[in-house]
Amino acid sequence: MTTKDRDIETRRTGANRRQMLLGLGAAAGGAMALGARPSAAAERQVADAPTEAETVRRQPFYGEHQAGIVTPRPAHGMVAAFDVVVTSPRELEQLLRGLTERILFLTQGGTPPELDPKYPPADSGILGPVVQPNDLTITVALGASLFDNRPWLAHLKPNTLQRMVEFPNDALDPELCHGDLSLQFSAHDSDTNIHALRDILKTLSQFLVIRWKQEGSVPVIAPKPDGTSESARNFLGFRDGSANPNSNDAGLMDRIVWVGAEDGEPAWAAGGSYQAVRIIRNFVERWDRTPLREQEHIIGRRKMSGAPLDGGNSEHDVPDYAADPEGAKTPLDAHIRLANRRTPSSQRNLILRRPFNYSNGVTKNGQLDQGLLFIAYQADLQKGFIAVQSRLNGEPLEEYIKPVGGGFFFALPGVVSPGGYLGQSLVEAAGKIPNEQS
Amino acid sequence: MLKHLMAASALTLVLAGPALAAKEVTLDLVEPIADYKIFVAEKTGELVADTQAFVDAIKSGDLDKAKTLYAPTRMHYEAIEPIAELFSDLDASMDARADDYEKREADPDFTGFHRIEYGLWDKGSTEGLEPFADKLLADVTELNKRITDLVFPPDTVVGGAAALMEEVAATKISGEEDRYSHTDLWDFKANSDGSQKIFELVRPLIAETDPAFVEKVESNFNDVDVTLAKYESGDGYELYDKLTDQDRTLLAARVNTLAEDLSTLPGKLGLD
Repeated sequence: MTTKDRDIETRRTGANRRQMLLGLGAAAGGAMALGARPSAAAERQVADAPTEAETVRRQPFYGEHQAGIVTPRPAHGMVAAFDVVVTSPRELEQLLRGLTERILFLTQGGTPPELDPKYPPADSGILGPVVQPNDLTITVALGASLFDNRPWLAHLKPNTLQRMVEFPNDALDPELCHGDLSLQFSAHDSDTNIHALRDILKTLSQFLVIRWKQEGSVPVIAPKPDGTSESARNFLGFRDGSANPNSNDAGLMDRIVWVGAEDGEPAWAAGGSYQAVRIIRNFVERWDRTPLREQEHIIGRRKMSGAPLDGGNSEHDVPDYAADPEGAKTPLDAHIRLANRRTPSSQRNLILRRPFNYSNGVTKNGQLDQGLLFIAYQADLQKGFIAVQSRLNGEPLEEYIKPVGGGFFFALPGVVSPGGYLGQSLVEAAGKIPNEQS
Repeated sequence: MLKHLMAASALTLVLAGPALAAKEVTLDLVEPIADYKIFVAEKTGELVADTQAFVDAIKSGDLDKAKTLYAPTRMHYEAIEPIAELFSDLDASMDARADDYEKREADPDFTGFHRIEYGLWDKGSTEGLEPFADKLLADVTELNKRITDLVFPPDTVVGGAAALMEEVAATKISGEEDRYSHTDLWDFKANSDGSQKIFELVRPLIAETDPAFVEKVESNFNDVDVTLAKYESGDGYELYDKLTDQDRTLLAARVNTLAEDLSTLPGKLGLD
C-alpha cells in the first residue's frame, strides 16, 4: 500500500492536463475497444460540468473496469437500490448475465424487437423506435447484505464493505437506505436513465425488487474559450469536485479508486471499486439566508470563483494550509479543510466524487426538498469515505445539511471481452464452495 | 431456471413462438370461460351469504364477530375482482379506500368494506356502521344479479389473470389495502388464487406450445403459495405485520414476474 500513501498531486494545471492526455492515450489503447471515445472530451474530469457535445456519445462497455466511475459525468444521474432474490450461485449467475445483456443493449443502443401488437411491446418506447446510447452508463454494485445473508457468498465479501454507517448528523430514512445491489445510471438526459431502469425492472423482475431510487442532475456548461471546463455547482451554489483527483491519470486511479490484485481483497474483486452513495438534503432556504462571508467560511472557498480562501482566482488553485496553521484565512473547521487536509498522510483518504443535485418536491413543513446525490468511489471504503466523513463530523456545514439515505456498495470489476459477464469472477469463486445451496 | 431467465429476457423468442390463428383460439376459450363463469357464480353466491352474516353481526352490535367475518367475506370479492371491477360504480362504493378521496375517512362518499373496516378497527365499534352495512349488502346483491346476466368478455377473463397480480403488486405488497385490520394476506391469497384459477383454465391451450412459459408461471405461483402458507393461522392468515422483509421481497419478485408474464396471456391465446 505504500504507493497509495505517496503524495499525490491533484492540482489540475494546463501542463498537467497535457500530461494526462498523453497518459490516457497510452491507457486507452487496450481496454476501450468498443465504442468511440471522442478525443475532444478525453481531458475532461469526472466532476466537470457536462457539455452539449455529449448528446449522442456511446460509452464503451468492455474494459478492465466498469464504465460510469471515471467516466466524465453527463447531465443526469440516478441511483436505484434493489433487494435481490437469489438463493444459489446459479441464480446469481442468471441475474448477472441478465444484467450484462441488458446493460450492453441499453448502453450501446439498438432496435428493440417488434412484437405482434397483441402482446405488450418489448420496450417501453420512451426513447422511440431506436434506442440511442445517449451517453448512458449503468454501473452495477453489490451491498454487504447480499453477502451477509447468503452463506455461500459471505466469505467473498470485500474487506471493507459494510452496511452504511449512521453518522452523528444523519437522520436516515429506512426507506431510502441500503440494498443488496445498486445500479448507477448516468446519461445525457433523464429519460434515458428512466428508460433503462424500466427495461431492467421489466426483464429481471424475477431477481430484483426495487427498494429506493434517487435521480439527480448537473447543469450543462459550455467549455471556456481555452477549451477547459469547470466543476459543476451544487445546490449550495458552490463548485463541487474541484479537489477531485485527476480522473484521467490511470496510475492515480489505480491507487485511489480501483481495487488492485495486491490489496489483500478477495481475488475476484480486483478491478472493482467501493461505492458510497448518500442522499444529503440541503436546507436551502436557511442557506440562502446566511451571509456570503459565513457561507464561504463554512465551505472554505470563494463562492463564485471557487478559489481557496488563502488566495488564487480559480477552483484549481491549491490552498496552503501549512502557511495558515491557526485558520486565519481558511477556518480549521471549513468543509474542504476537514475533508482534505492536503498533507502526505491525508493522501490515503482521497476519494473520487461523482455527485448529482436532486430536487424532489416540498416537505411537510413547506420547505424545498433538495440536496446532493453524493456518489464517491474509492479503493478502500474505510480509508476513503468513512475516514473523510468521520473527519467532517461536527463541521459547521452540518446545520445546513442532513443525510437521509444512501448505502455502501462494491462496484463489480469490468467485463474485459464479449462472452464474459459482470460479476463472473465472483460467481465462479462462489461456485467453488463444496456445500453449495440450491 | 435458466430457461426462465431466457423467457424473461429474450422476449421475442417466447412471444413470437405460438402463432395461433385468432378465431380457432377464441373457440377454444368457450369452455374455459364457461368454467370461469361457474367459478365466479360460486364466489358471488358465497359473497352474498357471507356479507349477510357480516352485516347481521354489525347490526346486532357484535364487534368481535364482525371483525372475525371481515377478512373471509372480502376474499370472495377479491378473487373475482377482474369481473367485479367491470361494474365501476359498485367497485367504488364497495371497495374504495380512504385515499381515493381527498377528504380521506371523513369523505361522505367513502363507503363499503374499508369504511366498515375503519369503524370496526380504528373506532373499535359497530356504532354508526349500520347504513354502510345496509349499503354493502345492497351492492353485493346487485353485483350478484349483474354478474348472472353478464356475458363474460374473453379478454377480461384472460386479462384478469394479470390484472389480479397487478392488483397485488400495486396495493397488497405494502400492506396499505387493509390498513386498519392488517388482514392484507387474506386479500393477497384471494387475488393470487383468482389469478391462478384463470391460468389453470386456459393452461391446456398453451401447455404444448409453450411449456417453458407454463413451467415458469406455475413455479412462481407455487412460490407465492408456499410463502403465504407459512403465515396460515386458524382459518385464515396472520396479520400483515408478521410478514418478514425477506418473504415480502420474495413475494414482490414473484408477483411482479407473474404480472409481467401473465400480461402476455391474452396475446398467446390470440386475443386482440
